[in-house]
Amino acid sequence: MSTIVIEHLARVEGHGGITVELDGDAVASVRFDVFEGARLLEPLVRGKRFDEVAPILSRICSICSVAHSLTSLKATENAFGIRVSPQTDLLRELMFRGESIESHALHLFLLALPDYLNYPSALALAADKPAPVLLGLRLKRLGNRIQETIGGRAIHPVNAVVGGFGKAPPVEELIALRSSLMQAVPDGDSVIDLVASLPATDFCHSDTLYAALRSPNLDTYYAGDEVMVVSNGNRAIVNAADYRSLTAEKAVPHSTAKHSSFRGRPFMVGSLARLTVNPRRPMGKLAVAMKRLKLLLPADNPMDNNKAQALELVNDVERALEIIEQLLRDGIKDERPVPVLPRAGTGAAITEAPRGLLIHSYTYDDEGRVTAADVVTPTALNAASMELHFRRAVEQCADRDEAAISRRLQMIARAYDPCISCAVHLVRKR
Amino acid sequence: MSKPKVGIFGLTGCAGDQLAILNCEDRLLDLVALIDIRDFPMASSDGNQECALDIAMVEGAVVTMRDARRLRAIRQRSATLVALGTCAVWGGVAAMDRDLDRAKLLEEVYGELGKEYDSCPARALHEIVKVDHNITGCPIEKEHFLAAVASLLNGDPPLYPAYPVCTECRMRENNCLLIERGELCCGPITVAGCDARCPQLRIPCVGCRGPVTDANPASALALFEEKGFDRERIWARLRTFAPVGVAS
Repeated sequence: MSTIVIEHLARVEGHGGITVELDGDAVASVRFDVFEGARLLEPLVRGKRFDEVAPILSRICSICSVAHSLTSLKATENAFGIRVSPQTDLLRELMFRGESIESHALHLFLLALPDYLNYPSALALAADKPAPVLLGLRLKRLGNRIQETIGGRAIHPVNAVVGGFGKAPPVEELIALRSSLMQAVPDGDSVIDLVASLPATDFCHSDTLYAALRSPNLDTYYAGDEVMVVSNGNRAIVNAADYRSLTAEKAVPHSTAKHSSFRGRPFMVGSLARLTVNPRRPMGKLAVAMKRLKLLLPADNPMDNNKAQALELVNDVERALEIIEQLLRDGIKDERPVPVLPRAGTGAAITEAPRGLLIHSYTYDDEGRVTAADVVTPTALNAASMELHFRRAVEQCADRDEAAISRRLQMIARAYDPCISCAVHLVRKR
Repeated sequence: MSKPKVGIFGLTGCAGDQLAILNCEDRLLDLVALIDIRDFPMASSDGNQECALDIAMVEGAVVTMRDARRLRAIRQRSATLVALGTCAVWGGVAAMDRDLDRAKLLEEVYGELGKEYDSCPARALHEIVKVDHNITGCPIEKEHFLAAVASLLNGDPPLYPAYPVCTECRMRENNCLLIERGELCCGPITVAGCDARCPQLRIPCVGCRGPVTDANPASALALFEEKGFDRERIWARLRTFAPVGVAS
């Protein structure tokens, strides 16, 4: 028996590793180890008032803090039967787009790109080839500007509250943001040029099940309350209230992230899943970009998630621009949040964080205090699928060369864009 | 003069303070011209895990034995240790209500397996090792990080406001959420540095930067009580982000 261990996975958020045990040529076991300490935020949030919940649970993860915060608000609003204004919906979608631009730019350029070009970090890469790193940093800055303008802060937004926003952004700031977004449109072309030029990553093929939010409109991150699971032409739909049937989580000894499966099979969430599940196929410029990236759906290669992120990056910039145009056309109003009347009950909400499906579900008492909270994060949902793809990559590495395997597994792990702080989440025992 | 060797680390937390550093997009490349980043696992895969460091910056709280071991090892190799963010300085949300038994919660959540996970009572960094400087905030303000690097490069201690959020809020001429609207705003007892970001947006301060040490707590408390908020409720709010600084 020989073992390949990646002690601490670098260039990802959080603390995790990979362990592969080989019995001769056979793969005996593959593990995605999570060392992240359990913060126990779900049991700790019990007893807190409804307005304290989002600010606490956004702290599950900095990179996905908009997604955690807005999913939390959506769940609370569902529990109390609150319907927010169309302006609030648009501003929230804009925050999601901003977060996704920031997160994808961070992941593609600062975390994943160095692997393709054989550098240990983007900072080392920048010393030799500054252009791609500066491109990534420009887009990352743009995503942060959107989050700051609408959410009040790039990390852990403060402006979005139950029922709406503290204050709508001033028109001048939206106009300034619009011109930054217009300037960024050509950067989108450069992203596709760059990703299309990267060496092929052809070392892991596998039949893959994909799951993503089924959005009724253009807002693929925030709108809707159904999940669609897709595999080779078969489709299944799961409603927000029944999300537990989707996740069927189990605790495993090597990880504080619980593992998920759908009807016994691991599934993948994230950019590639969103593109696969979304019935609106990319059109026009995006269709051309997809062709240039040689991305065919449904994909059988998890590394294609990087290409899907590049496509989303381009699309998010354009969609953010459309939203701002619409807000300016309609005239931004200084709305106050919808008044909150707490009532006893349960509310669940499903959204798409940059790295995939995110679910928050709370039960409140009649004073608006939490009696139970449950959060299911994309990296936890992906953990079983990552392990499956690690296994396929080892099996498909003909000579079982240790250095090659180690490099490939790290690249696959990064392609999933894991957020390991997120993955450590806790579920009430039923 | 050779560039100071710097390490940037995260214990248990949301990585938001490391992300705040990476959010200095316009300054990152200038920064690496001034400091020699030797170990930064979130951003680089060739970290030197042994070398001596002039400055270590550590975010997150200690909630596992592994965190405590890593922190002691970082302390041992570093001349100066900077606690980065509210979790590192005050325990943060990971240490919220820290008198609750973690082992029991783990078992409740993970069942029998919960007993096998690495866990210890949640703590701030200074409860385990000597901390030289604190940069608070949830997350830190990136400008505070840049200013701290500039100070440390000059051999000066980084300095931050010692007055409450209210001072900044008044400078921005906001209406007072506590006095005029009777909302539970933690501005009078929370340390400034955020430019009153939340009250500026009509959102009450939740105390995410931790308590102000220079304030007159008696007069602040009298103000809260006058508005009908009892002492226990105020303390409970502050203990959410700064459980280590506020006794239960």
